[in-house]
Amino acid sequence: MKKKVLSVFLAAAMVASLAVGCGNSGGGDSDSGSGESGGDSSEGVTLDVIISQYGNYTQDWWKEFEKTFEEANEGIDLNIEIVSWNDIYSVVNTRISSNEQPDILNISGFADYVLDDLLMPAEDYVSSDLKANFIPSFWESNEMDGTVWALPILASCRSLFCNVDLLKEAGIENPPATWDEVLTACKAVKDKFGSEIVPWGLDISTDEGQAAFSYYTWNFGGGYVDNSGEWALNSEENVKAVEYIKSLIDEGYCNSAPFTDTRYPLQDAFSAGTLAMMIGPMNMVAADSEVNYVAADLPGEKTALGVCDQLMVFKDEEAGDARTEAITKFFDAFYECETYSNYMVYEGFLPATQDSSDNLAANAEKYTVGGSDATGDSEYFKTFCAVLPNCKFYPMQKAEWMDVRNGVIDVEQQVCNGTIGAKEALDKLQDSVAK
Amino acid sequence: MKKRTLVKIQPYVWLLPSVILMVTMILIPIISVFKISFSEVGRSGIVRGLNGVQNYLEIFEEPVFWHTLQNTIIWTVVVVGVSTVFGFVLAMVLNQEFHGRKFVRAVVIFPWATALVIQSVIWKYIINADYGSLNVLLKKIGLIDAFVNWTKTAGSMFAWECWVGIFVTFPFVTFCVLSGLQSIDIALYESAAVDGANFWQKLFKITLPLVAPSLTVSTVLNIIYVFNSFPIVWTISKGAPADQTHTLVTYLYQLSFTDGKGGHAAAVSVIGFVILAICASIYMILSLRGEEES
Repeated sequence: MKKKVLSVFLAAAMVASLAVGCGNSGGGDSDSGSGESGGDSSEGVTLDVIISQYGNYTQDWWKEFEKTFEEANEGIDLNIEIVSWNDIYSVVNTRISSNEQPDILNISGFADYVLDDLLMPAEDYVSSDLKANFIPSFWESNEMDGTVWALPILASCRSLFCNVDLLKEAGIENPPATWDEVLTACKAVKDKFGSEIVPWGLDISTDEGQAAFSYYTWNFGGGYVDNSGEWALNSEENVKAVEYIKSLIDEGYCNSAPFTDTRYPLQDAFSAGTLAMMIGPMNMVAADSEVNYVAADLPGEKTALGVCDQLMVFKDEEAGDARTEAITKFFDAFYECETYSNYMVYEGFLPATQDSSDNLAANAEKYTVGGSDATGDSEYFKTFCAVLPNCKFYPMQKAEWMDVRNGVIDVEQQVCNGTIGAKEALDKLQDSVAK
Repeated sequence: MKKRTLVKIQPYVWLLPSVILMVTMILIPIISVFKISFSEVGRSGIVRGLNGVQNYLEIFEEPVFWHTLQNTIIWTVVVVGVSTVFGFVLAMVLNQEFHGRKFVRAVVIFPWATALVIQSVIWKYIINADYGSLNVLLKKIGLIDAFVNWTKTAGSMFAWECWVGIFVTFPFVTFCVLSGLQSIDIALYESAAVDGANFWQKLFKITLPLVAPSLTVSTVLNIIYVFNSFPIVWTISKGAPADQTHTLVTYLYQLSFTDGKGGHAAAVSVIGFVILAICASIYMILSLRGEEES
């Protein structure tokens, strides 16, 4: 009897665990007020800062920044926490739901926080000099309903990477410039190498399927929104683009698991020389790779995807001007040309400010890459910084962005899986977003 | 009198830490999840207030939810069913005397003892069509000419996930049944042999009735484990393609942590809780009834 009672108890406990497992995703009250940060200027100000982890050495750089900043700004205590991308959204949401949001947050996307009235407008804490220093397209990309809500922290852009040796061996002299040429190149690689080399890398996974949607739709002349900024997901161009993605899979030109392969194994395969072409970020090729490659414009309209993460400030109604002043000092110190240029080289990204772009295009060799003795490459920054102002960005400032992001990935997967046609899938998505 | 009171309350004092732990770590979160499932939750995690059964209605309108529910039932029935049959047969084999039996028993426990995430990652690499070891092996021994895409469709992907589920589950059944088999008195089989009983008669008249309690425990616990299992499906497919390979647990995780729909996730969580509570109640009723009869 005792054993049975014990097993019944255990069973009940495990059943309960299902419900408990979801327990940290919400809760708390709905106040959107402040955390415990901020404070009286006479006693000093503490700023809680959450920074996304961009690499293995992010923590070291910010530790040094914290030390230098605190020495230069007596009375301001920085409390910097580095959080990995895997956890950051759940960490921040949990903090918000328990009314302990940070003062400053580095993340990708801000519309949800604006809708919940949690953020301060950027102009409230950005000095006029700093504002003038941002590259206009970056500054404007964080505008929602006429107000800029976040600052661009860094950027990267995507290019078409081609293994020159493999393409030449397959009889292709130049990187493909049109989508038809992509098909020709893929066929040539497949005919030449069979299953040994994958011609085209494709990631339509839940990880970054929206990036693939952007590459193809923008370069087929479509995109997320029309000229008036309204959602235009079911445009004719988008239908063609999604059908094109399906044709790449159907012809056997892609990696075998595009639904689950993220870009990371694809980047590894490209760096190892077993993948001939893929669209990826500018720093995607491994440092020790011996592949002879070229980074070319995307085929078609030659529109590159720019990815830009943000820094934003949460409201704290109780905190006074001292907090705002401390935050302004924080941003002035971070975006200071030398410091910011150093961070960009350290993490391998592109700057969002004009003076750092100019500085890195001439003096990147002054700064070292995080965790190594390697220095920056001025030529590299010169090339990519010139491209960056013309990049297109995700429409993150639109409130429906997260639904659209998940929706386009669903469309890609459903269409490529053969469960629905591209037109029908995009029509459905457009209807659901326009509701 | 005072001493007697102390003796009387002593057991409750000893139980108090466990009760506090269970209330804070299990009961309060359950109540919280129930409350969230009836609330509107913003993407940033803010609970905006009660919204009745709206989350449930929206979930029921989603075709993905019903497909996920169907998957969950298939997943649980197939993994638990096949594991139970296979585990039972293996336990019968391992109960026989043979050379190296101890070694085989030790090997069998490995799939169960290894972390599920590790098992899932290994299997993901084994079945990968571009560089997976299964294709390499089959090609080397000449069974295939070109690499096969083992997970081309949602169905094949889900079938592989079920296989991994079976692979990590059957050892538990094997050892539960083995412990039951070892407690059967050998004299019963000897008497049956004297009476002329064949293998099947011994199996159905002696073995099965006597290992039934062990099988019941392993089956019920496996239903709960497998129903709640997260790592296999999430590691191998994350529900892809097009949310066709989700189970309830991975679906609610996606709703909560990827889609930012905390209210919907809580509603799915409550639905899963209710389904499992019904299963566990049936087990408890059967278990207590069996106890009364014996």
